[in-house]
Amino acid sequence: MRPVISVSLNGRAYQFEDDAHAALAIYLDSAERALAGNPDRGEILADLEQAIADKCARFLHPHKTVIVRSEIEQVVREMGPVDCGAANDTPRDSASSGAGTAAGEADGAAAAPKRLYQISDGALLSGVCKGIAVYLNVDVTLVRLLFVVAAVLTGGLAVLVYSVMMFIVPYANTPEEHPAARGLPFNVRVLVEQAKLKAAQLAEAAARAGRTKGSRGRL
Amino acid sequence: MSEDPKLGALRKGFLEFLVLRIIGGSTVYAADILKKLATTDFATQEGTLYPLLSRLRREGLLDYQWQESEAGPPRKYYRLTAAGERQLREFHAYWARLNRTIDSIGS
Repeated sequence: MRPVISVSLNGRAYQFEDDAHAALAIYLDSAERALAGNPDRGEILADLEQAIADKCARFLHPHKTVIVRSEIEQVVREMGPVDCGAANDTPRDSASSGAGTAAGEADGAAAAPKRLYQISDGALLSGVCKGIAVYLNVDVTLVRLLFVVAAVLTGGLAVLVYSVMMFIVPYANTPEEHPAARGLPFNVRVLVEQAKLKAAQLAEAAARAGRTKGSRGRL
Repeated sequence: MSEDPKLGALRKGFLEFLVLRIIGGSTVYAADILKKLATTDFATQEGTLYPLLSRLRREGLLDYQWQESEAGPPRKYYRLTAAGERQLREFHAYWARLNRTIDSIGS
């Protein structure tokens, strides 16, 4: 059972599974950011929403009324990044300070709903890992694995961290809290990249440690 | 995807000209523009086209009208303004001149 979120795209209601909605929010948010300072921002966003709605329509039938994540991801790929040809848009250069504050405000507004929650839906223990996975938009198995690896490497300290988070981090209970758990798209993307990088570094370090241990063992 | 970035920059500049040319003397819906470009080197996505159309309208080169469609909400149909037609003619003349220059300058 998945929560579904209803949104209005240019005046018509569409239903998205919660993670599909998050993917759509990321796209529209980055579009808004790309159009910061553009005098026709509202109109272009309406055009984009309409184009997204048209593309979603092909996935909807009388017996299938909800858009899932893979579908919205395909739609977003087809739409392409919003590119307003910086070289041609004078406001960007002449009023860069104004555009800068506008972008800053947009960041602030989008940052507000970002929250870390525990998500008991599909949790193994308490939902800390699931919450972190949703927050970072990475696979929950990866987070769990990292926790186990960290627990081994830190001699149990990570287990303590988990226990503390169990009590401190709130649960996502309401429908509003579930999308809020996914938070600000831009930060999510940055965090995901950082998490991936860290995971790679950790894996590399683990492999290196394994190798040295192995070679020492043979000596 | 391993295309020379210099060619990409060149193409970006020409996109505006092609959009004006596709609209030409008729009224065109944004999806028609994308469809026409899709099979060419100038394949474009909504994320690029809508901001471009909006800028061309702001510059007074094109205009749109809302038209009812059989299925779905009303759509914007774009057409060139007098200034847009003039710009298109200038583009054409410039393109012809550029071609002659490129052809003749090497020989």
